[in-house]
Amino acid sequence: MSSTKARSAKGGCNVLGCPCTGILTRTLDAKGGCDILVAVAGNPNVGKSTLFNVLTGEIAHVANWPGTTVMIKRGQPVEHQGRRICFADLPGIYGISASSPEELAAREYIISDEPDLILVLVDSTAPERTMYLPVQILELNPKVIVALTKIDLTHSYGIHIHVDKLEKHLGVPIIPVSALKGIGMRELLNTIVDAAEGRLKLRKTPLRVDYGSLEPYISEVANMLLKAGALRRYPARWAAVRLLEGDPKLEEELRAEGKDDLLERVGVVKESVRRFTGREASELLITARFEFVDTIARDVIVRVERDRGFSRMLENLLQRPIIGPITSILMLFSAFLLAFAINIGFPLNLLFRMMGLEWVADLVETYSLSGILSMAFDWAGTVIGDWLTKYGVADWLVSLLVDGVIPGVGSVLTFLPLIMLSFAFLSALEDSGIGPRIAVAFNTLFSRFGLTGRAIYPYLISLGCNVPGVMASRSAIEEEERVEIIYSTQFIPCQARLVVLLAFTASYFRSPLAQTTLIIVIYMLGFAIALFTAFLVRKVLFKLSEPPELVLEIPPIHRPSGKVIWWTTWDFSKHFLRKAGTIIFALSIATWYLLSYGPLGPAETPETSWGGIIGRAIAPALILIGVTGEKAWKIGFLLLNGFIAKEGLVEAAVLVEGASSLPEALRGLGLTVPQVISLLVFSTLYVPCLATLSVIYQETRRLKHTFIAVLYALLIATAAGGVSYLISTALGL
Amino acid sequence: MYTLDLVPPGGRVRIVDLRGGRELVSRLMQMGLHPGAIVEVVENSKGPVLVRVRGVVIALGRGLARKIVVMPLR
Ligand SMILES: Nc1nc2c(ncn2[C@@H]2O[C@H](COP(=O)(O)OP(=O)(O)OP(=O)(O)O)[C@@H](O)[C@H]2O)c(=O)[nH]1
Ligand SMILES: [Mg+2]
Repeated sequence: MSSTKARSAKGGCNVLGCPCTGILTRTLDAKGGCDILVAVAGNPNVGKSTLFNVLTGEIAHVANWPGTTVMIKRGQPVEHQGRRICFADLPGIYGISASSPEELAAREYIISDEPDLILVLVDSTAPERTMYLPVQILELNPKVIVALTKIDLTHSYGIHIHVDKLEKHLGVPIIPVSALKGIGMRELLNTIVDAAEGRLKLRKTPLRVDYGSLEPYISEVANMLLKAGALRRYPARWAAVRLLEGDPKLEEELRAEGKDDLLERVGVVKESVRRFTGREASELLITARFEFVDTIARDVIVRVERDRGFSRMLENLLQRPIIGPITSILMLFSAFLLAFAINIGFPLNLLFRMMGLEWVADLVETYSLSGILSMAFDWAGTVIGDWLTKYGVADWLVSLLVDGVIPGVGSVLTFLPLIMLSFAFLSALEDSGIGPRIAVAFNTLFSRFGLTGRAIYPYLISLGCNVPGVMASRSAIEEEERVEIIYSTQFIPCQARLVVLLAFTASYFRSPLAQTTLIIVIYMLGFAIALFTAFLVRKVLFKLSEPPELVLEIPPIHRPSGKVIWWTTWDFSKHFLRKAGTIIFALSIATWYLLSYGPLGPAETPETSWGGIIGRAIAPALILIGVTGEKAWKIGFLLLNGFIAKEGLVEAAVLVEGASSLPEALRGLGLTVPQVISLLVFSTLYVPCLATLSVIYQETRRLKHTFIAVLYALLIATAAGGVSYLISTALGL
Repeated sequence: MYTLDLVPPGGRVRIVDLRGGRELVSRLMQMGLHPGAIVEVVENSKGPVLVRVRGVVIALGRGLARKIVVMPLR
């Protein structure tokens, strides 16, 4: 199992598609361009990424969800007092016992010579728990500075921390900060520079936790190591403690050093601990360490009962057995509905239509955000076309711009407002801390399909974009579940697929109710197939019958921060824009070329163009989803475009029809209602985009499996498309 | 002695033993769920069991809660 677990640290982000939020973009090598390199470590959800973003001005994904960051990300250097300080955002870890790949990666980084300092974050709203990690790190490496995060919240939780006393206990500088409110940032940077340049005394030696009755055993093992010259990379005492606690990595290293006999002797020592105390050494050690933390906590933390008002009420409500799950799902649902509504003027248009005010409803729709954008592109196309012709620009170039690039890229860009809105709502939801509650709510259902409720997080991200969704699979605890998530998230409809859904439904269905119903049904279908796929992977690939077990910290709910919402929204939207400017742009040119030229030079009609020829080659297969006749070649051609990027489907439709507006183009395809339905079902499921496929490969490193995943998706999509054609025909739609 | 999944909401117990794979056990211990730790059950109905330990709420799958042996506090 451990070999498949080696998650790729290289590879990094994929420019093709979506943003790689909070994911490693570099390999762990040189110190390139930094005077001071600081590793940022802390428990999940203590606020590492927020601090990192505020300090470096970059965007790592922030969410009130433990396990948002899954790999090491190093940012641009920060200039302070003329020094260039670099920060490396480590994934959240509870300890450095190396029981997970994240912990191992973080530990390796901490003991490597690379970072000059380790900044350990302690959540000031949960100090008793989050202080365990700095103690563990200090036992290994004394070059530590501690920051108490979220200090703006501490008092409202009824907590007071005596910072100076804590400094004495740990023997390291402690700086209270609030990244969101900008408190303590300057002090933090000053401390970092002073410490790195020796003006400020850090600890010289590792922290010594008193392990009481275990001390003699620790000394015994430490002496054994010293005498044998084994594990010299680590402080002997630390290695001894770790070996007694049981540490797969150190055991492996001992074996690699050819010191198997030592390993056996450690086993003997462990055995005598068990005989004399009646308990496991690992238990005793961890308990002693927590007791050490408790002793400090009792001295430095004062807690009083505080009423947290609305947040507390919401937490209680969401924890209720039946009401809780329903509420959390409703919240998720309304967030999406609200985004749609604002974008297309719903429900105002519906309201006006019901009152018989057709023309007002039309007006609302025309002047909705995307309506206005689409008019703007139309207008720009005409103006630019006239202007270019006037100045004698070659006809083909004018055609390329006016019939290719502008409508192609424009058809996709009109969806920008919707995309920004849904990202804003999604990230507000994430930042509030509702996410983990939704995970708990979904756990029972998901466990039937071999997943834990945690899988809802990658799925939610996938609603935005499948690329970071696949990467978020790394937050799964169990390796098998991670693989299940990788192969199943591709069926969660992303924003690009939403663009296709919206464009077609708006063109073919007049009633907003019909539009919304169809979209909701397709989303549910996507989710259902994702769950079914996870189930298949677990049963068929791994042959496991038991579901994985949920372990998830549930952070307190708080009001989402405007800053965090903006970060996420902007980061995703930027990538959407970049994609429109690169892939869709290139695709528009390619589409334009394929439709304007054929084997005999400039094509008379699209049917005789290259596009027509390719489309006709695909067309026969489309009978399976009920698409036949005249238009089949066009649909075949659209689906080919959609494989590169899903928005390519609408971009190509505009060009195939040579229409000036998107609804006109789509209606021009002349599909029947059952055909539209089956096409939408098929196009939602048939393959994720190229970018998603490439991360699936990157995460699994199995070409064969990626290939099978594509075939599987095609099969599922064809089946679902065909069935929905039959059903909707039978229903007489 | 009984297991965590049997503790009603509001109940406070001491952890006696953790059963299960070493990776999972090590993870739970580092989250503060080690033998000797005192936990308060916040919610325990159909789905996962929610416990509060060291001021932090943690959700545990029922199957997992069944592997955590606890004893009542006087
Ligand atoms: N009030 C307040 N909230 C904060 C502050 N810093 C972070 N948060 C919130 O804490 C939550 C977690 O923040 P992240 O930065 O994602 O935490 P992280 O440590 O990177 O978490 P992982 O990547 O999951 O390990 C988010 O909801 C933030 O909005 C702060 O200074 N003040
Ligand atoms: Mg993070």
